[in-house]
Amino acid sequence: MTRRACAALIAGFVGSAGLASLPALAATQLTGAGSSFVYPFFSKAFYTYSQAHNDVTVNYQSIGSGGGIQQFTAKTVDFGASDVPMNADELKRASGAVVQVPVALGGIAVTYNLPVTVPGGLKLTREAIVDIYLGKITHWNDPVLEKLNPRAGLPNLPIVTVHRSDGSGTTYIFTDFLSSVSKDWKDKVGTGKSVQWPGSNTVGGKGNEGVAGQVRQTTGGIGYVELAYAMENKLSTAQLENKAGKWVFCTASTVQAAASTKPSVSATDFSIVDRAGANSYPISGYTWAFVYENPTDKARAKLVRDVLTWVTGDDAQKIAASLNYVALPGTVQDTAKKALAEVKV
Amino acid sequence: MIAGSRLAASRRVSGIAGVVLTGFCSALAAGLLIVILGYVVVQGWSAINPAFVTQLPHPVGVSGGGVANGIVGTLIIVALATLMAVPVGVLTGLYLAIYGRGLPAECVRFLAEVLSGVPSIAIGLFAYTILVQPFRHFSGLSAAFAFAVLMLPLMIRTSEEAIRGVPTAIREGALALGLPDYGGVIHVVLPAARPLIVTGLLLAIARVTGETAPLLFTAFGSQFWEVNPGNPMAALAMQIFTYAISPYDDWHRQAWGGALLLILAVLVLNIGARWALRGRTKRS
Repeated sequence: MTRRACAALIAGFVGSAGLASLPALAATQLTGAGSSFVYPFFSKAFYTYSQAHNDVTVNYQSIGSGGGIQQFTAKTVDFGASDVPMNADELKRASGAVVQVPVALGGIAVTYNLPVTVPGGLKLTREAIVDIYLGKITHWNDPVLEKLNPRAGLPNLPIVTVHRSDGSGTTYIFTDFLSSVSKDWKDKVGTGKSVQWPGSNTVGGKGNEGVAGQVRQTTGGIGYVELAYAMENKLSTAQLENKAGKWVFCTASTVQAAASTKPSVSATDFSIVDRAGANSYPISGYTWAFVYENPTDKARAKLVRDVLTWVTGDDAQKIAASLNYVALPGTVQDTAKKALAEVKV
Repeated sequence: MIAGSRLAASRRVSGIAGVVLTGFCSALAAGLLIVILGYVVVQGWSAINPAFVTQLPHPVGVSGGGVANGIVGTLIIVALATLMAVPVGVLTGLYLAIYGRGLPAECVRFLAEVLSGVPSIAIGLFAYTILVQPFRHFSGLSAAFAFAVLMLPLMIRTSEEAIRGVPTAIREGALALGLPDYGGVIHVVLPAARPLIVTGLLLAIARVTGETAPLLFTAFGSQFWEVNPGNPMAALAMQIFTYAISPYDDWHRQAWGGALLLILAVLVLNIGARWALRGRTKRS
């Protein structure tokens, strides 16, 4: 019996060693982690890429922008992704010089859950959103909201604000918008991947998916999610007043209009919230991917560079557009190409 | 006399009340389990088809696809964890049952008990710190290590009890027939204790198969075929987690399908454990 067990063990080890060496020859698996904002796009794009290139697979996990930066810093992934570039502190902590590449453009919709249907969609001014999240407007039938939506018959229902509980680039873009609209918000709360949310009636959700789920379950809830998540969950999205005083929904064309007012972006000057222009949607932003400028494993780094070059090119950006993102403007595609050329492979 | 019969009556009433109460609670507990199982079956049944268990996950927006890589990943990770946990667990159990005396044995027993209470997420974090961060690489192997640590306390406890349950007279008989001490242990004691050890092993496997928390730090997840435990791997429990919180209806359906598969796997393991025990009770 012992001899048989011994033989079985050896066979098992040899077998698993054989299995282990086969796929290593077949395909290299690259790993990336971070932003949940960009996950639907990356998931589809990398699937398409590995079908065309059978020597490479890209494994991207949606763990949130904060987590993406952390894993990239710890060098446990080949690339990270976040909806806000790494700041000076984070760059200092990283294990070497970092190249930051814009890879996707998307809008953040303000979604709500009301027992009444608002004809033409709820209308919110930028100031009203600030006051709701500051806890100054606490009920849906507040005079400010009733004046904006006179025919809606808004109910006497407390407003529950939903925010991200994890470190989130989506939160960064949203609070960046609130700060640029309101000095009060800027002084009291500020801009960041996670902030101290004011107001007493507020709940958190993990990831874009978590916020979308919370809003869907909470009557009287209001939240901010990447457009694809709002569309897929069939959430109602609000019409916002932009800087020019025009009413705009979050759509590909209004996000594109906002992005076109700022043709050149960089890792230190990237904000496209609250832009001028009649058709500009006020809350949108880019997702950034990170790679090391001087990678140790040159062969792997070259594969990563090839993948990201493809992601920022026209073919992949068409996939993005089909999933409720906006194709990167030509000028930003050039920025991405230039950044990727800095990687020493 | 009258007082006595009144006492008997009140005793009978409280006795009946007790039976009703415990019966009601049992019905509640059993009912809840049946509702949970039934709900998973109803929700998951529609997702289970040949494609679901043979295909890779499709990307977002492309309907269909399956969790074949997660099934294989879970099997590989659990198999590796078993290879690590069984020798250590059984030999520790053997030490405690036969050789361990006094303070050292008490310490080992106490530590194993403490280990069984450590939250799985903490063990995942530990595996991340010693096996992922230094090598700068997520891997199925680090997940298997975390699972092995989770399996260990149960393996140690059941092995010790199984070996202790073998009558000393049998071991002494082996010695009397001229077998050396180690021979008696290997050829007589361990085979006699095997059914119980196997039961413990199956229960330990059932315990870790559904674990998700330690996998997040270690196996990382994957959308692709991955049978090399040195790479990030998919696992069924993690796929359920990802799919359940996704915004896509098709993925929600698949999450229920995955949950049903996991429950079936655990059910089979539990039945297997009972079956292994049945062999023992017949013999004794």
